[in-house]
Amino acid sequence: MRSNLDKQLDTLNQEMIRMGMLCETAISMSSDAVLRHDAAEAKKLPDLLEQIHDKDKQIESVCLMIILQQQPVASDLRLVSSALKMVTDMDRIGVQSNDIAEIVTMKGIEGPIDRSIPVREMADAVIHMVTAAVDAFVKRDDNMAHSVVKYDDKVDSCFDRVKEKLAEVLKRTDSVTGRDPETGLDAVAVLDILMITKYLERIGDHAVNIARWVIFSITGIDEKHEGRIT
Amino acid sequence: MTKKIFKSIFVAAMVVMLVSFVLIFGVLYIYVNKVSMNQLRMQADLAAAGVEQSGIAYLDSLDPSGYRITLIEQDGTVLYESSDADADKMENHLEREEVQEALKTGEGEAQRFSRTLLERYLYCARKLGNGNIIRLSLSQYTALRIFLTLLVPLILICIFAIFLSMLLAGRLSRRIVKPLNDVDLDHPLDNEGYDELSPLFKRINQQQTELNEQELELENKQSELDTILGNISEGMILLSADGRIVSINNAAARLLGTSHKDAGGRKIIMINRNIELQDAIDRALSGRKNERVITLKSRQYQVNASPVAGENGLRGAAIVLFDVTDKEQAESMRREFSANVSHELKTPLHAISGYAELMKDGVVREGDVVPFAQKIYKESQRAIQLVEDIISLSHLDEGADDMARVKLDVYKIVKAEAERLCGEAERAGVQLITEGEKTKMTGIPALIQQIIHNLMDNAIKYNHAGGKVTASVRSLGDEVELSVSDTGIGIPEADQQRVFERFYRVDKSHSRAIGGTGLGLSIVKHAVQIHHGRIALQSTPGEGTTITVTMPKK
Repeated sequence: MRSNLDKQLDTLNQEMIRMGMLCETAISMSSDAVLRHDAAEAKKLPDLLEQIHDKDKQIESVCLMIILQQQPVASDLRLVSSALKMVTDMDRIGVQSNDIAEIVTMKGIEGPIDRSIPVREMADAVIHMVTAAVDAFVKRDDNMAHSVVKYDDKVDSCFDRVKEKLAEVLKRTDSVTGRDPETGLDAVAVLDILMITKYLERIGDHAVNIARWVIFSITGIDEKHEGRIT
Repeated sequence: MTKKIFKSIFVAAMVVMLVSFVLIFGVLYIYVNKVSMNQLRMQADLAAAGVEQSGIAYLDSLDPSGYRITLIEQDGTVLYESSDADADKMENHLEREEVQEALKTGEGEAQRFSRTLLERYLYCARKLGNGNIIRLSLSQYTALRIFLTLLVPLILICIFAIFLSMLLAGRLSRRIVKPLNDVDLDHPLDNEGYDELSPLFKRINQQQTELNEQELELENKQSELDTILGNISEGMILLSADGRIVSINNAAARLLGTSHKDAGGRKIIMINRNIELQDAIDRALSGRKNERVITLKSRQYQVNASPVAGENGLRGAAIVLFDVTDKEQAESMRREFSANVSHELKTPLHAISGYAELMKDGVVREGDVVPFAQKIYKESQRAIQLVEDIISLSHLDEGADDMARVKLDVYKIVKAEAERLCGEAERAGVQLITEGEKTKMTGIPALIQQIIHNLMDNAIKYNHAGGKVTASVRSLGDEVELSVSDTGIGIPEADQQRVFERFYRVDKSHSRAIGGTGLGLSIVKHAVQIHHGRIALQSTPGEGTTITVTMPKK
């Protein structure tokens, strides 16, 4: 009976890592699509999103099966319950990556985004966060998870800078051409970039959530509610 | 084994005990019987003698003490009975076996059992002088009775005996087995104890030696294999059927971002989360061989994932990773080159075909025929030039092995080229200057000529009207230095690294207008490489360019 539980937990672990891998791929593909202005890359996202949804359902059913059949306790219970929460965040990462890709395919942005707007920096930071959160889960490393939580500040400050830069672009916009002479962006592109970076910022938040659940599954401390649950 | 020995000893002890019990009992019983009978006879003789002397009164004075004495008349009537029974009322004893026997022979004996079988009666009769019979009788416990009486002590003795034999059997069996348990199988020949085992020990020793040798051999082979696998640059991973790493070499471990030691027994997904690699592994583990190119750490790797089949279906998978970055780059360069060649050839051919079509259809005015024909001629010259350049490039790519190296004078070739190009220089309004002296070196004349021609030709083409081209040859010890400098448009710094690439042109429209193919400097670079020389480029946009080629004399 117990060895059966171990087997099921192992499966859960593997599937979680797989889902993490899909999320990492999704976010790096969609940011690639933005930065290289590659619509073909963006069109691969819906497929990936479907896989992420499938994994989500699969992991949920594995979790419920474990709870029903094995009544896990202590760290096993923490792993299963945090897995249930984590897949929701991972699923959202998939959905928002897909949203970013959709913006790229709509061609509101006409070319690679000007370097003066720190989109690349932000995308790199977010990819790092997602990768580190999944790594923390794989290695059961709560220090790494803590560093992910801290890293979110960098993404937030990036987002603030993007907003400032976009405001400057709008101020500079030439009334005749409707474009900013320096970056060549028009109002539609500015809005698109704002949306993309907002999605990136949200993905960062989801990565933080995942990291918090990793910490919970290891230490039993839920940082958000600042209390020990089990 | 201990159990078996214990059981055997125990059962044997029990059987022996029971059998001896029965035998002793029987022997004792028979002996006691015999003694009793003898005593009875003696008593009967005494009683008979007494009655003969003193008559029946003797019997009255006699204390029977356990015996029963009966006096019987010749007709069987009981005259006297020592027991409580009344002699008058007793039945006639004439038919009794011992009485009959005594009447006949003077002495008679018999044994009879009581109805319950618990008692036995011994009878002994003697015939007196007057014909009467005196009979003595003794009652005795039967064997059954004795057995029943002794039952409780017997059971106690049995239980005690069982315990004792269990104890002894246990000890004995342990002692018998102990030498076997203590056998040191690692050093079979050092064992003492049972001589019967020594052939076995010898055999074990022999087999152990063989086994050790085989193990050592296997270890050597394994470590040999490990060393080979560990040091090859290709990544090798062996997976078990459930996807765990059985073996991974250093190259693969480095590539996946782990160490050779940490990876054992883990699944690849725990180490590396490349989705393409994972897909390849999943396919291999489901029994499908597959190949693909993946990107790891910004280099391209060819992944060959194949299932390993055993007797009972899938046993695992073997993954081989090799770096194909260079190959992929070369491949993409080749693709680019052929795309460029077709594009470059298309342009003059389109022009030729266009002009020729107009002339064929007769829509060209008489006066335009000559200019049209000139254009066709010019474009076809360009196409020819291009094809020639490509041919010499591909020749250079192969190393120009078939071309003979001879002693030649570089300065002489420079002079000759200057003469050939002077018409062109005049048209461009450029002054051609040659400097230097006779400088000999060993080289391929056609290639040296191509180097000089291309450099000077470029210097004229990319020059301003009224500019200057200086070609100089100097001898520097073992090397020849050829330098061509112009006062032309120069090359922007960003492009300086790339002008030697095939079809790379700083200004495409200008280059085409003056009939450049974009291959000239590429040919120069290759030709210099074949002569083991080097090229240096110095240029300032708007001021001019100096290209210096240094080649060894031999």
